[in-house]
Amino acid sequence: MHEISVMSEIVKGIIDEAQKRNALRVERVSVEIGEYTMLGEEQLRFAFKVISKDTLLENAELDLRTVAGTIECECGFKGEASPASDTPHRSVPVLECPKCGGGARTVGGRECVIRDIRMVVPDV
Amino acid sequence: MHKVVTVEVEKDILSANRKLADENMSLLDEHGIRSFDFLGAIGSGKTLLIERLIDLLKAKGKRCAAIAGDVAGDDDFRRFESHGVPAANISTGKECHLDAHLVDHALEKLPLHDLDYLFVENVGNLVCPVDFPLGSHKRVVVISVTEGDDMVRKHPAIFAFSDVIVINKMDLSEAMQVDPDALENDAMRANPAAKVVRTDARRGEGLDELLAALGI
Ligand SMILES: Nc1nc2c(ncn2[C@@H]2O[C@H](COP(=O)(O)OP(=O)(O)OP(=O)(O)O)[C@@H](O)[C@H]2O)c(=O)[nH]1
Ligand SMILES: [Mg+2]
Ligand SMILES: [Zn+2]
Repeated sequence: MHEISVMSEIVKGIIDEAQKRNALRVERVSVEIGEYTMLGEEQLRFAFKVISKDTLLENAELDLRTVAGTIECECGFKGEASPASDTPHRSVPVLECPKCGGGARTVGGRECVIRDIRMVVPDV
Repeated sequence: MHKVVTVEVEKDILSANRKLADENMSLLDEHGIRSFDFLGAIGSGKTLLIERLIDLLKAKGKRCAAIAGDVAGDDDFRRFESHGVPAANISTGKECHLDAHLVDHALEKLPLHDLDYLFVENVGNLVCPVDFPLGSHKRVVVISVTEGDDMVRKHPAIFAFSDVIVINKMDLSEAMQVDPDALENDAMRANPAAKVVRTDARRGEGLDELLAALGI
């Protein structure tokens, strides 16, 4: 439900960057979504279309990538959590350490990052 | 002439909220206040549980305050105020969750120099608050048996990212034909590190266990 507000922030951030460089338009943006966020790809794409209208971003390509979540455990394990075997469809894995079965801490996968922006700028 | 350039940005949109959340926590730490976020399903008993905890802590001479977050209205805010503690109301208007910025403003309305514990009730929602930490010391997610026995399986993330999981309305489990053991099993699987507590907020049962789980 909060994809619209998150996408508004993304678009604002991109327009800031584009204006700093006097861009005429933005052609493509790459955004990475952490696996453990509650952001849906379809909703983000829809929000992008709506919010980018009549801006420098109109018709820009949105390159959305999901970044795997990582966990860290007291036993020393650091890496991707393995989803519980009986719930392979689950979007959020059980935060169980695959090595020792203990409770693990997430260290990555909760972010939403504008990675890069391709834009058309004046050649000076 | 024009040229096409690709600019590296590396800007995390959610980090702005996290930074504010860290600032909120520092502010609370400076004042020696322990704070707790209450998240959970609509009507699961978040407000009633906080009301009960406020009464218990007041009786022990502790100073509490509460922040009520709702999409509209001041019902929960008035309920907190009726217990004779400072309270602040946040109407999110349209948003489906509180964020650290809204909480920051609510903190300005509270007598921070005069508090031991702060309770923050989020908007009833098991999805969106997950992405927006508020800067509290512990996150508590409240569900009740009246939402059915599959609540945890349907919303694993909020359980995975909370410290305490409360199964409330235990008095109704038989009437609802919901097995609290099943809920608790799911909760432990979603988050083996969490503490799971069963309560009946109506009759005030399980509150000592809840206080212990909160580290009070
Ligand atoms: N029987 C029973 N009723 C409860 C219990 N806890 C809460 N209730 C009732 O459930 C209803 C909702 O409780 P609230 O405390 O307002 O729930 P909430 O989670 O704050 O609700 P929202 O803020 O609207 O999401 C009220 O009528 C409470 O009296 C309980 O343990 N047992
Ligand atoms: Mg409430
Ligand atoms: Zn481990």
